[in-house]
Amino acid sequence: MNKKGLRFYMRIYKKILAQDLKSKLSYRADFVISSIGMIFTNISAFITLWILFQNFPTVMGWNYHEMLFLYGFSLIALTPVQCFFDNNWSLRYYVFSGDFIKYCFRPINIFFYYISEVFDIKGVGQFLFGIGTLIYSWQKLEMGMSVLIFIKLIFALVTASLFMVALMNVAAATCFWLMGTGYIMVTAFKFKDYAKYPITIFNTVFRFVFTFIIPIAFIAYYPSLVFLRPDEIPILTWISPLIGVLFFYISYKIWMKGAISYDGTGS
Amino acid sequence: MEKIITLNDVTKEFKVLNRKEGLRGSIKDLFSRDYNIVRAVCNISMEVSRGEIVGYLGPNGAGKSTTIKMMTGVLEPTSGEILVNGMVPYIKRTQNAQNIGVVFGQRSQLWWALPVIESFNILKDIYQVSDRNYSDMMELYTSLVDIEDILHKPVRQLSLGQRTLSDILAAFLHNPSTVFLDEPTIGLDVSMKGKIRKLVKALNKEKNTTVILTTHDMGDVDALCRRIVIIDKGSLLYDNDIENLKGFFGSYRTVKVRLGREAEELTKENLKRLANELQQKLLDTHPEVNSLTAISNESWIDVLVHEDEIDIMKVVNSIQEHYKIYDLKLEEISTESVIRKIYEGEMQ
Ligand SMILES: Nc1ncnc2c1ncn2[C@@H]1O[C@H](COP(=O)(O)OP(=O)(O)O)[C@@H](O)[C@H]1O
Ligand SMILES: [Mg+2]
Repeated sequence: MNKKGLRFYMRIYKKILAQDLKSKLSYRADFVISSIGMIFTNISAFITLWILFQNFPTVMGWNYHEMLFLYGFSLIALTPVQCFFDNNWSLRYYVFSGDFIKYCFRPINIFFYYISEVFDIKGVGQFLFGIGTLIYSWQKLEMGMSVLIFIKLIFALVTASLFMVALMNVAAATCFWLMGTGYIMVTAFKFKDYAKYPITIFNTVFRFVFTFIIPIAFIAYYPSLVFLRPDEIPILTWISPLIGVLFFYISYKIWMKGAISYDGTGS
Repeated sequence: MEKIITLNDVTKEFKVLNRKEGLRGSIKDLFSRDYNIVRAVCNISMEVSRGEIVGYLGPNGAGKSTTIKMMTGVLEPTSGEILVNGMVPYIKRTQNAQNIGVVFGQRSQLWWALPVIESFNILKDIYQVSDRNYSDMMELYTSLVDIEDILHKPVRQLSLGQRTLSDILAAFLHNPSTVFLDEPTIGLDVSMKGKIRKLVKALNKEKNTTVILTTHDMGDVDALCRRIVIIDKGSLLYDNDIENLKGFFGSYRTVKVRLGREAEELTKENLKRLANELQQKLLDTHPEVNSLTAISNESWIDVLVHEDEIDIMKVVNSIQEHYKIYDLKLEEISTESVIRKIYEGEMQ
């Protein structure tokens, strides 16, 4: 038997993904309706921002296009958690019905096996929306582009999504130990809405919480500073990729610990 | 013979938390010491050889599924040792998983949205089955069961029976040394049960796969198992060949009767009622008899008679006094009745 490395898992993931997409596309109505819903949600967010800035040219030193930048950035950073880690939302149902046990019988990593099962295509629309917003605000802010900046941008986006994924992993994993944890998932996911605001608009307590406890400030704010405020990048921005990887690793370990100690329910 | 599975004095206890309601309750639960201990499996020892089909039987809640979950490495025994293919399953979960197949009746493990054949394809990669072995296996499958019309349907569109069939095929796909089937025939109709029995029997024979089967249907046992292991309340009651077991009940006979031509058309409930009525009448006519039972079985009524208590002919005569016997057969005690007697404690 070969060792199961990255290539082994990539191959399986690609196969599952391709098959899953094929079957999803046969439900076109579902896809169209959810896309329309997504478009309306985002348009209303735009209008809110726009109205706000009709009255105030800047909010705490942040102008309209900078806010748009944060918004677009956070939309893109949220794509991985929505597209690839959506099955976390169902975890508590599997755990309480006892069906989770079926993920324990295969000779592969349980976290991978579980997460790979669902790909949520709805996130793709949001991703495109995010890219559009980012490009638009980027031009308006006249920030320019180079290979180096582009690499930085990719790095920043990856880091940001790691935080969101980690947050949702931990929130989902709580169901291995606690009952009725739906509200934890919902709350954790709601926090993403704060991610698109500059952290400086919150008071000190929330700033601390969003940086060190529920680190959503890393989802858009800290990484964006590289582009928006290149002269005043805090140390936290520089080490955020490291913290992101660490945070993801911890969340994975917690998730796996729950899965390994899973008892099943009697049947 | 080569031992595939060894259980040595295995016990499994569950700590069941007395959970509290709401947010505050669940936070308290985190630190709670308010446990009940449920002993699901209790000092079980057994050995299974390569190629055996073992019927692992017991009433609901006996601890069958828990034992299987331990043998598959999902649960850690509280005490005792388990070896499967020479490995401790809980410690080497993934390696163990490579050499076993598992089916839990009514819980499909295939990808819900994908066609069966695509699930098989992914499993081929997961278990790293070579192209050659894979196509050999598929060829074997096609020769054993008619799967063409289910292979290309998404799992969610299949009937329960077709799903179970696919799950069983998936479990054998990587040619594991052992397959665990936990109530595979539950909820299936007679013809699907027949298909599944035939399939499991053929795969066992062809690939010399060890099969551990739990079921409540003695038809499965009669069709597949020579050896049965019976547990109740977590403890082992009996572990032996069925034939030996039946020897203990050598003085029992089953009188199978069909009452009237219309027996074929009677509904299940009516036949059941008729059997009850017959049993009551026989017990009333022969007050010296204690252990006589009559149960419906397909279109027959099986009357189980203990010959030390009463002569068979006497029973047949009494039946004839009350009903018109259309058809009659004499058989040894059925597996079903043996198991029932063991559950009722008549082996001690
Ligand atoms: N995860 C669990 N937590 C607590 N109790 C359990 C758990 N799983 C099984 N049990 C209990 O253990 C006993 C045996 O269950 P099980 O092995 O499912 O029985 P069977 O499969 O023979 O019907 C039952 O009393 C059941 O309630
Ligand atoms: Mg069971």
